[in-house]
Amino acid sequence: MRYALRKLGLLVLTLWAAVTLNFVIPRLMPGSPADAAIAKLAQNGPVTPSVQAAIEAQLGVPGGSIWDQYVTYLNNVIHLDFGVSYTFFPQQVSELVAGALPWTLIMVGAVTVIAFVLGTLIGIGAAWKRGTWMDSLPTVAGSFLSAFPYFWTALLIVFFLGYVLGWFPTSGAYSATAVPNLSWEFLGDVLYHAALPAITILITSLGGWILGMRNTMINTLGDDYVTFAEANGLRGRTVAIRYAARNAILPNLTGFGMALGGVVGGSLLVEQVFAYPGVGYLLFNAVTNQDFPLMQALFLMITVSVLLANFLVEILYGVLDPRTRR
Amino acid sequence: MSLLEIQDLSVVYEPRGAVPTHAVKNASLSLEQGEFVGLVGESGSGKSTLGFAVTRLAKAPARISGGRIVFDGTDIAHLDAEELRSQRRGGFAMVLQSGMNALNPVRSIANHFGDIFAAHGHVPKGRRRQRAIELLDKVQLPSTVLDRYPGELSGGMRQRVSIALALSLEPRLMVFDEPTTALDVLVQHAVMDTVRELQAAEGFTAVLISHDLGVVLESAERVVVMHDGEIVEDGASRQIFSAPAHPYTQMLLSHYADPRAEVVELPGFERKASAAERAGGNGEARPERAAAHDAIVVDHVSKVYPPPRRGEKAVTAVDDVSFRLEPGAAMALVGQSGSGKSTIAKMVTGVERPTSGTVTFGDLRVDRLRRRQLRTLHADVQMVFQDPYSALNPLHTVEYTLTRPVENFTGLKGEAARERVLQLLETVGLTPVEQYAAKLPHQLSGGQRQRVVIARALASDPQVLIADEPVSMLDVSLRAGVLSLLEDLRADLGVSLLYITHDLLSARVVTDQIMVLHHGKVVESGGTTQVLRFPEDAYTTQLLDAIPQPARRFAGGAAS
Repeated sequence: MRYALRKLGLLVLTLWAAVTLNFVIPRLMPGSPADAAIAKLAQNGPVTPSVQAAIEAQLGVPGGSIWDQYVTYLNNVIHLDFGVSYTFFPQQVSELVAGALPWTLIMVGAVTVIAFVLGTLIGIGAAWKRGTWMDSLPTVAGSFLSAFPYFWTALLIVFFLGYVLGWFPTSGAYSATAVPNLSWEFLGDVLYHAALPAITILITSLGGWILGMRNTMINTLGDDYVTFAEANGLRGRTVAIRYAARNAILPNLTGFGMALGGVVGGSLLVEQVFAYPGVGYLLFNAVTNQDFPLMQALFLMITVSVLLANFLVEILYGVLDPRTRR
Repeated sequence: MSLLEIQDLSVVYEPRGAVPTHAVKNASLSLEQGEFVGLVGESGSGKSTLGFAVTRLAKAPARISGGRIVFDGTDIAHLDAEELRSQRRGGFAMVLQSGMNALNPVRSIANHFGDIFAAHGHVPKGRRRQRAIELLDKVQLPSTVLDRYPGELSGGMRQRVSIALALSLEPRLMVFDEPTTALDVLVQHAVMDTVRELQAAEGFTAVLISHDLGVVLESAERVVVMHDGEIVEDGASRQIFSAPAHPYTQMLLSHYADPRAEVVELPGFERKASAAERAGGNGEARPERAAAHDAIVVDHVSKVYPPPRRGEKAVTAVDDVSFRLEPGAAMALVGQSGSGKSTIAKMVTGVERPTSGTVTFGDLRVDRLRRRQLRTLHADVQMVFQDPYSALNPLHTVEYTLTRPVENFTGLKGEAARERVLQLLETVGLTPVEQYAAKLPHQLSGGQRQRVVIARALASDPQVLIADEPVSMLDVSLRAGVLSLLEDLRADLGVSLLYITHDLLSARVVTDQIMVLHHGKVVESGGTTQVLRFPEDAYTTQLLDAIPQPARRFAGGAAS
């Protein structure tokens, strides 16, 4: 318990540091969004002071001391007020993020978890049945599939499964005609649309988990406590799961934490290829349109999600490994 | 009928893509119920392979290639997995060498017992905790251990736990594979006592596998000696001790001596007069190659480490130690692990700084050296490490390993450096030098590796060698060679030697002065022979008593 509280305290501290950095860094950069907009207009002719004032009012040039700005900023962050998006004016940034986040979390997040669980299980099986087809098949297939670049797999899948065979829709999170609600029909539609991006992520990440788990477990299988467990006549399943796999999974948790933290920021490519309305898609739009409030909010989201995922993994570590609890 | 009958057993290692090795060749052996048998041999003799085969724990690439293992009337060499698993209760159990690693770090001790009880169902659920406490009691551990995790127990406690776990199978045969090798000297002694008492009380047949003939002779009634995969001798302990028949047994036995004896001799080791002594004790007439001319002076040195965890006490590793290592002298630092002997080595080499006190070498204040000055120190003070298997980079040839320090310290380049490397190999007795220079560490034996490590330490032409347990990882037959090399270096080159060890016998043969450390304090010091023959401190006596003394056991007998 004390371990969890300590980690929680650390989380709050790092969150604060991340939020503060997010405040400081843009301010250290020369110029402001308003300057940039005015400079752009100035290429077409002189900018009148009234236009300049209007732009500054619209983009919100900060006033007051840096400390006042910081307090206002912290207050806004706490109330999830990130201002108005330039691209999707006059929508609130928070609304845009809230609209995109669930899609990413559900599709990419769930697939990441599924890939980890599935990959770990297959890895355990491969290591336990080392040298048989149960070992060689998944390891060879896994390393083959994960050798493809991400976007290439995505394009192949869109082309064959979506376009040539027409089994799955190639874009969007749900049909244009569907009305978002909590009916089974709508849920089915969502899963149907999530299938292609999900398959892509699964194919490209599964191999890594299989190989990682298999290799660490082969090491733990050679450890003395496994030999000793066998000498004591424990059942094969107990030895494989509670002795070998329980210890082998520990180093892989770190990788899992990183993958989970990368869900929000790392979905850019796949969401772009499948025109999936998640955070990655939104981020791409924000960057190409120089939508600073949206970008700032998204960067913060990405940082926070990495921190949360790490926190989660550390708690998991605490549960699984008594040595870390002290 | 015998409990265990091994007939013509052969075990072969067949690594993929490599030449198979016959680790055990046509071994035959029969054990009676309640016997205590020692299985002795050096590394590579096949003793552990035999132990693993008998308990059916041999894993690929090892394979039983022939013969039968009849346990209580059943040939267990060809049992299938499930039959074998159920046989393990009331059958044969094994205690592994590194008992500290034999426990699953993420499961509590209670769970370890629970897993075994659940696997065999021989203890009803309600009685399991009680039964576990009884078993722990047999190995002299308190019941509080049950709720601990392995990481929270000391090495000796963990080894006791694994003995209790093996015992929970109610075995009729227990194989102990080097059960105390990884443990500290005093703990070793205590654990072996427990093993002997248990065997007497429970009446199981015990097989004690060990490289240490002394340990085996002290415990076992019967000794089986293995060499190169074959059983070369099998007889009663008393007979093996007093009249060993096979030359290999005779060789093993000859390396045993009592450090307390009046005269201690090791075969292949000869004490020499040091260079200074040969010069007639007259300081001015030193031979030209008397390397050492500066003394190491350690003056009231203490080292306190910050507490390992918050809320705990600081650790005092070394507590007010003073000594003087004269040029060309050999001094031993002895004590059990944690006594601070290695910390002293670190402070003398400038790796650690003392919390208080001073270390000087000639004009150098070692405790105040900056990074660049350390280089000057290391040209004169060099270290020989304990584990020759990890002290050499496996990817580099011997020549490369030696060329680096030669270039760094002496400034020699190219052909001159190579010349010096070959000369170093000659000094440490690795001839023909050209052949050894081209070898990689894995092509060398442990003793040869340790010679390379020593050659590396000599590259800078040091005045002082600090040897931290240089022979503890080596087989007895190789130890004498490395020890006599150290002796030669001291006598012929005039190098001073600080010899750190827990092995009092080797301290007796290579050093003149000794300091006994306990909890960071010097409890006794003086001439090595004097201190070991007539110890005054209780702790020194304790260390001496922990050494297996087969002579004492058989002293009442005919031959002694």
